[in-house]
Amino acid sequence: MSDEFNPRVLGFLCNWCCYAAADAAGVSRFQYPPNLRTIRVMCTGRVDPAFVVRGFIEGADGIFTGG
Amino acid sequence: MGKGMEHRAGSVMVVGGGIAGVQAALDLTELGYYVYLVEKAAVVGGVMAQLDKTFPTNDCSL
Amino acid sequence: MLTNTDLLALDGKPGDFTVKVRQRPRYIDADACTACGLCTQYCPKHHLDPYNEGLSLTRPIHIDYAQAVPATYYIDPSSCLYLQHETCQICVPVCQSHAINFEQQPEELELNVGAVILSPGFGKISEETLKKFSYGKHPDIVTSVEFERMTTASGPFLGEVKCFSDGRHPGRIAFIQCVGSRDLGCDNGYCSSVCCMYAIKEAMVAREHDPEVEITIFYMDIRTQGKEFDKARQRAESIGIRFVRAKVGDITPWRNQLQLTYSTFAGTHEFEPFDMVVLSVGLESPRDASGISDITGIELNKYNFAKSDTFNPLTTNREGVVVAGAFQGPKDIPESVTQASAAAGLAAGLLKKQRGQGIVHKDYPQEKSDTDEPRIGVFVCHCGINISSVVDVHKVENSVENMEGVVYHTDSLYSCSQDAVETLKKTIIEHNLNRVVIAACSPRTHEPLFQETLKDAGLNPCLVEMVNIRDQCSWVHAGEPEAATDKSQDLVRMAVAKARKLKPLPEQTVPVTERALIIGGGIAGMIVALSLADQGYESVLLEKGKTLGGNLGLLNHTLSSNETATHLKKLVVRVKKNKKIDVLTQAEIVHSSGFIGNFSSVVAAGTGKTKKEHTVDHGVIVLATGGHAHRPDGYLLEESSRVITQQELEKRLAGRAKNRAPDSVIMIQCAGSRGDDLKYCSKICCNHAVKNALQIKKINPDSQVIVLYRDMRTYGYAEDSYREARLKGVVFIPYDLEQKPQVYEKGRRLHVQFFDSLMQEEMDMTPDLVALSVGIVPDGTEDLSKLLKAPLTDDKFFLEAHVKLRPVELPVDGVYVCGLAHGPKPLDETIAQAQAAAAKAAIPLVKGSVSVDPIVSSVDEETCIGCSLCVNLCPFGAIEMIKVGKRRKARTISASCKACGICASHCPTFAISMGGFTNEQITSQIEAFGRATEKETAEV
Repeated sequence: MSDEFNPRVLGFLCNWCCYAAADAAGVSRFQYPPNLRTIRVMCTGRVDPAFVVRGFIEGADGIFTGG
Repeated sequence: MGKGMEHRAGSVMVVGGGIAGVQAALDLTELGYYVYLVEKAAVVGGVMAQLDKTFPTNDCSL
Repeated sequence: MLTNTDLLALDGKPGDFTVKVRQRPRYIDADACTACGLCTQYCPKHHLDPYNEGLSLTRPIHIDYAQAVPATYYIDPSSCLYLQHETCQICVPVCQSHAINFEQQPEELELNVGAVILSPGFGKISEETLKKFSYGKHPDIVTSVEFERMTTASGPFLGEVKCFSDGRHPGRIAFIQCVGSRDLGCDNGYCSSVCCMYAIKEAMVAREHDPEVEITIFYMDIRTQGKEFDKARQRAESIGIRFVRAKVGDITPWRNQLQLTYSTFAGTHEFEPFDMVVLSVGLESPRDASGISDITGIELNKYNFAKSDTFNPLTTNREGVVVAGAFQGPKDIPESVTQASAAAGLAAGLLKKQRGQGIVHKDYPQEKSDTDEPRIGVFVCHCGINISSVVDVHKVENSVENMEGVVYHTDSLYSCSQDAVETLKKTIIEHNLNRVVIAACSPRTHEPLFQETLKDAGLNPCLVEMVNIRDQCSWVHAGEPEAATDKSQDLVRMAVAKARKLKPLPEQTVPVTERALIIGGGIAGMIVALSLADQGYESVLLEKGKTLGGNLGLLNHTLSSNETATHLKKLVVRVKKNKKIDVLTQAEIVHSSGFIGNFSSVVAAGTGKTKKEHTVDHGVIVLATGGHAHRPDGYLLEESSRVITQQELEKRLAGRAKNRAPDSVIMIQCAGSRGDDLKYCSKICCNHAVKNALQIKKINPDSQVIVLYRDMRTYGYAEDSYREARLKGVVFIPYDLEQKPQVYEKGRRLHVQFFDSLMQEEMDMTPDLVALSVGIVPDGTEDLSKLLKAPLTDDKFFLEAHVKLRPVELPVDGVYVCGLAHGPKPLDETIAQAQAAAAKAAIPLVKGSVSVDPIVSSVDEETCIGCSLCVNLCPFGAIEMIKVGKRRKARTISASCKACGICASHCPTFAISMGGFTNEQITSQIEAFGRATEKETAEV
């Protein structure tokens, strides 16, 4: 199993839509892969490109922004 | 709450703790009134708490 | 809050009522109970769980559901062994907190209150009525409420729909509408108004659970008249849910299925087998309605609901006692919520002088200054088993052990429960914590609670950080406990990293201008102005026309036959005489800026030379802009003088012309609505048609009136008038969308061609008059939407903040909506909604100040280079340029800031920071995210 690609994804979620949607997904018990680690922001407008770059530097395989 | 007469100026009694009663009580508190919410069952929430999902968002009603 | 309590007596007068109530014992001390659930586990007796409609078993000592308020267990005396037979008492020693007390006695209390709101809800349809549908004869015939519990994920079957007879999944489900509604057989002549919509919802949910299931809904009329409800029906049809207009005659068990016999409108009889039959039960008046009536002295109508009239939908015959919700008449959740707010407003108006005297003001301890090194406490929540059944809570909790700054960590069964919150407060003080991380559910729902706790413990509310390991972890990774635990650890570590950098932020408050701006001088706007005046607040009422009154001026009477003209006249006089209401006619809003509590608008009033611009400062805006009758093409409405709208017909019938009620009239429902020019149902047209048809029959009993319709939506008590019209000989013929009635002129005659679905033949008639039910179009919502940044629905009505729970508020704070601007609706609903909007609008005015969330942007003047990029980017106009010395600097207008952070992410010199979301904080989160990668790489 260890050679299976298990990406680590960093997500920036907008409090009003994507974070809310992620909560709703939970309420409905939708199942999705557990590879995402999230950071809540009040709006994706807050996401400075520098954050994305920093995420990759810190070893993220992918960055997700949802807003 | 002790026995005997309770006296509070500017208070309203809401009889029935379903969604209507709870909403009325919340609004009254925000409007600056003390509310006695009287419910005959052991919990408030009424029928709405029994509902699974509600239209249109089908989100959890609780 | 007094639960387990019955109303015994009500004496006195408005402002000074004496109420006697009796509180039945719970047999459990509410303050001591920790809701641990041990007692239920030990209790040996079974008890049918009423919360699950008796579909499952619980114990006499229990709590209805995990989120119940109050979160205290109670003993149902009807089945408790001790209370019935004086044995057992096993629960007493089991309870660790010694909360069980069989000595408790009923307590009678006397309370002094100023007003009473009655909202006892509705009752269940009787077993007798259900028996007519073979309920009880076969286990696979269930009520819609039972079905609702079945589909619920947290219900007795965890959301699995099964036949009770043998546990198989039903392949074919039938819904039968109007069980206990529109049925004189059980004295419920009214329509319950909600069953069509909930049946569609339940059918769609059932399909979600099992995409293979075939569902048929047997109905008379599908009454999805609510806002956006028709769309749900269309969606249901598009996913293959079958709608059959038929009357079900009999349900017979047949082999392992249920055989339905039904007769269609075309007159044929059909038989069809189903696996499960769901009875869409209506809403009845509450069981104890007559008791309530005896105690309070309020009158009931013939169906045992509270009696009310169109113009005062919530007031009763006893002054100071108002009703709200289903007791006022069967209705859905948004209507109930609207009435509740309206009732609150009415009570508030009555007790204006005593406002604020009874409430307890909460004092917070002095906030500690934030100079110390971070001392972080981490609290991990089990959420019952919601989290702990997937995530290893202890592992997560222990993972923070050696993290920098963490001085305390613990777990908790329910972090949000009252006792846990109290413990949290004590722990903060005891361990001198100055940062708190709570790993539990969503900050969107629970952050305010914990912020409050921090305030109670003397900390700044911004020093808490929540980690969502439920909604976004345990719930969505139920099958992968290890990965979920891993994810939780990462998220907690990231939160701890952010917590180290958290800064206290001052709460800001802005004073409120105690005045409302009301746009629209129809019935809705006038009611809002008067209700606000009753509560002691000024308003400016804008009317674009020359006179007040709006559409009400065009009505002659209503179905319950009130005189509208006199009411309107009285209302206009009251508005004009009221010193707190400033009326501006021929007025329009041209500009508006500001935010809740502090709006400033420019209003143009008058015409020609008298036209003047006023600036109005106000704290709230109420939109009551109304609507007008639509004029559809294709029915010769503009071409023929013999084709008129229902509104025109009403006016004509009220006149004196001899031929005002001609010998033959055809009415066409949904002309231009529900699919044509207008996509939606306008809710009032069916009632309007029935009203006019009855009026024609009254004037000219021999007149032949035919109503061509798609679904007669005479919901609620209007069903009585529909029945009366049929009895008086008005002919109602349904038509299909594929075979719409055609109106044409040939020679000098007006023809209507339609397919008679009852006789199954093509008809061509030459009526004297055609009346079109045309639907309602909102007025001027598009311009206002742009002006106020308030969103609209696809149909150009204002979109409320929450369809169910915030029906009169808009997503923009401080802006409220009522009347036709919100959606088509009849007079009584408009009035209730206007009263509700007034109550909601009064809330910020009562508070006198609005607090601004501290999560706003702030500009560091030192670093700001005055490029004004942020000013141009800000979508809310919340940044302004000011002069500081000789330089231009940006400054945030905190109250307008929505905390989106666009300014911060674009500032070329990083001069802008977001409270609670600083660069430093987010970067530390990203770094903490990175540390796990290092760990993993190291392990490999």
